[in-house]
Amino acid sequence: MTLALLLAAALAVVCVVAVALPFIREPDPESDELAELDDDERRRLELLEGRDRALAALKELEFEHRTGTVSDEDYRAQLGSLRRDAASALQALARESGEVRPADGRN
Amino acid sequence: MARKASPARLVIALSVAGVLAVFLLYTSIAGGGNPSLAPSELAGRTGDVQLAGLVVGPVRGDAHDGGLRFRLRDISGESKTSVRVLYTGSVPDLFKVGRHIVVDGELRKGTFVAEPSSMITKCPSKYAPKQSDSST
Amino acid sequence: MPELGRAALLVTLGLSVYALVAGAMAAHLGRRRLARSAQNALVASFATTAVAAAVLLGALLRNDFSFTYVARTTSEALPTAYTISAFWGGQEGSLLLWLLVLSGFGAAAVSLNRGWARDLIVWVVPVFAAVSTFFAFLLVAVASPFATQAAPADGAGMTPSLQNPYMLAHPPLLYLGYVGLTVPFAFAIGALLSRKLDERWLIATRRWTLFAWAALGIGQLLGSHWAYVEVGWGGYYAWDPVENAALMPWLAATAFLHSVMIQERRGMLKVWNVLLVILAFSLALFGTFLTRSGVVNSIHSFTQSAIGPWFLAFIAVVVAFSLGLVFWRVPQLRSPTKLESPISREAAFLYNNLLLLALCLAILWGVVYPLLSEAVRGEAIVLGRSYYDFFLRAFGLPLLLLMGIGPLIAWRRASLKSLATTFRWPTGVALLAGVVLLFLGAGSSVPGLVAYTFSAFVLATIVMEFARGTRARKALGATTWPGAFRSLISRNRRRYGGYVVHAAIVMLAIGVAGSSAFDSVAEAKLAKGESMTIGDYLLVYRSLDERASANATEIRATLDVRRGDRDLGTLQAGKNAYTIEQQVSNEVGIRSDRLTGEDLFVIAEQIDPDGSIYFRVFVKPLVNLIWLAGLVFLVGSLITLWPDRREQRRLVARASEVGIPATP
Repeated sequence: MTLALLLAAALAVVCVVAVALPFIREPDPESDELAELDDDERRRLELLEGRDRALAALKELEFEHRTGTVSDEDYRAQLGSLRRDAASALQALARESGEVRPADGRN
Repeated sequence: MARKASPARLVIALSVAGVLAVFLLYTSIAGGGNPSLAPSELAGRTGDVQLAGLVVGPVRGDAHDGGLRFRLRDISGESKTSVRVLYTGSVPDLFKVGRHIVVDGELRKGTFVAEPSSMITKCPSKYAPKQSDSST
Repeated sequence: MPELGRAALLVTLGLSVYALVAGAMAAHLGRRRLARSAQNALVASFATTAVAAAVLLGALLRNDFSFTYVARTTSEALPTAYTISAFWGGQEGSLLLWLLVLSGFGAAAVSLNRGWARDLIVWVVPVFAAVSTFFAFLLVAVASPFATQAAPADGAGMTPSLQNPYMLAHPPLLYLGYVGLTVPFAFAIGALLSRKLDERWLIATRRWTLFAWAALGIGQLLGSHWAYVEVGWGGYYAWDPVENAALMPWLAATAFLHSVMIQERRGMLKVWNVLLVILAFSLALFGTFLTRSGVVNSIHSFTQSAIGPWFLAFIAVVVAFSLGLVFWRVPQLRSPTKLESPISREAAFLYNNLLLLALCLAILWGVVYPLLSEAVRGEAIVLGRSYYDFFLRAFGLPLLLLMGIGPLIAWRRASLKSLATTFRWPTGVALLAGVVLLFLGAGSSVPGLVAYTFSAFVLATIVMEFARGTRARKALGATTWPGAFRSLISRNRRRYGGYVVHAAIVMLAIGVAGSSAFDSVAEAKLAKGESMTIGDYLLVYRSLDERASANATEIRATLDVRRGDRDLGTLQAGKNAYTIEQQVSNEVGIRSDRLTGEDLFVIAEQIDPDGSIYFRVFVKPLVNLIWLAGLVFLVGSLITLWPDRREQRRLVARASEVGIPATP
């Protein structure tokens, strides 16, 4: 009985320490701010996803044309618009990185 | 490209309508299911019903030869009425006096004549707390 | 020792509440150390739950009957493996298993995604903690596994039908599935709360969802196989509410897995995907509620228990909160891309979703109908097998066909000409198969024949895709055909793994169609020496033997089996009478034909004192395809789940490009 209670007490202590650890380790930090994405970064992330999506679509079109799922006609028809999508996504990204310069010292 | 009401949207909407139509089709053909009753609610009921109750002995007869005869009473134990049941067909191995069972059939001249092999027994309660009268 | 268990659970509850409150505060106010503290609490709750689980497991293995739970679910004579399975055999233990898996998954999901989705994690922690708090509360206050009593001499034992290897694996797998669905749910809610509605929540949870879905699928197949061989009524699925409880979230998760691909590819259906994952999780909770509360009349029904109302309340809160959150964030979920054509892969996936959901909702309706009709009309009306069979065919058959069409239609818009070219060969194969089957007598069941024909179509498309893909890779420079095949799969794991899973579903469809639409049954009362026929089988009842095993008396009838002039050996069927549990179980005799996948299924229904037996015999064509499908399903799931280093590198690169902190 007492063994059980001792173990339980030990368990509780360990948990309290685990929970308090961040505060024990850094009692007086420079910044307690949660690293968040600001609007610029969020927009950049969306553009990156758009770019990856456009490139993936192109890759998939190539693959499906090669395996014969997409006919030559359909391939030609879709290639143009997908290439345009990819180009505009890359352009938007370039514009974004041109405008916004990441601040120094950010990790 | 002109942005008119996309035909795709229309087709999707029609598909949803199609699915709903399937539901309506079923209910109009097959109607509803069978009422599930306790033995105390059975008196005077006609037509196919599902009877859910507690098996009361004595159990006599042979389900494969003339029919198994026993009585069913309410699971909740509030009512004392029990109904005479005549059952033919497969008997689940968990069947015994004191077991909850469910069986389809209809009341004919005071005896509930079961549909062959329609008996289902309830697995002994593994998730319920053990009750003092051990009704499981 | 029970005090340790109780204390551990109490600490778990405390940690969960802290993680919930502190986590929510940290996320809302943007406090880094508090967020980390809440995260630690979530991880620590796994450790404390593990301690509680260890206490219960120890008590089980020691046969410590002072634990009420142990006395209720085991006995001295019970073999060790089943003693372990008693952990999840009863109410309280199964809740503890749920909490253990939940806290384990929570700790893992949060730790593994720390690297590249840290801003998402801050909101995932409180959501996970909320679910964890509920279960911990139940275990502490309502259904504790650590209740004690004066130890009786022996325990009550385990229901004989649960003493079966399948029952060792079936519940844990289902729990992995149910609980696994909490992860995408928590991430979706986290994404909504934080307004981070980019793709990352989908990508972070994709493998979790796949894993949970695969576990649910395999768990259900194991359960069906158990019902087939152990309960032995001749079937494997009875549309029982508890069976449906696992099927519904699986169907919703299947829909989600497909529509997620549309969001990744075209950025569409963001709201839809969030709603689907909320539905899947809610159905998982509802399924747990159904299995435990005894609300619905079913063969698994358990008498009204205390936790039922709590579960219902929790589900209501989850649904209300989630839906409210979705409504609030709907403006941010709008996507610019629209559906362009009703004949496109997007549309095919939408039809797939529609059919899967329709089937799921039809089943849900069937399950709750007795409750609703009782509330409204005072009389519970039960919908029978024919209801479910109708909708399985109405929605399942078109779904089967779609499995073959969807992967081969072009994105955005497909021309009818290209469709005609692509599907020329598979359609031909299907028509040929249909005609051959008609000649073989499959016309006796129209839905069965349709299922076979559609299956042929889908199999043809899958073979076609593998062949064309391998050929393309070979042309790209692979040196050998096997090498081309391997590189094809490793470079396109999701696509080809998905094809393997589709093949498994097709096998399942064929097995189900064969064994339900084309089966036959015969009954006869035989004395020793007498025989009966079914189809082209001849069975002769030879002898009746009795032997004793560790915990039962086993009675077996031996029958000779012949087909035509070939001797097929013997079959044994009978009953086991379990001493401690005072129960009798059916032990069926099954002879599986290696070549045709057909089963000869013998039930010794009634054994009379004079040794004559009433036999019920089935011939179930193609039924073994169902179990084989399970293996193929497992292989396909593993292929899709396999880590993809290329993809991982791309994601990390993308994260660093944006400046998302990559260090923990």
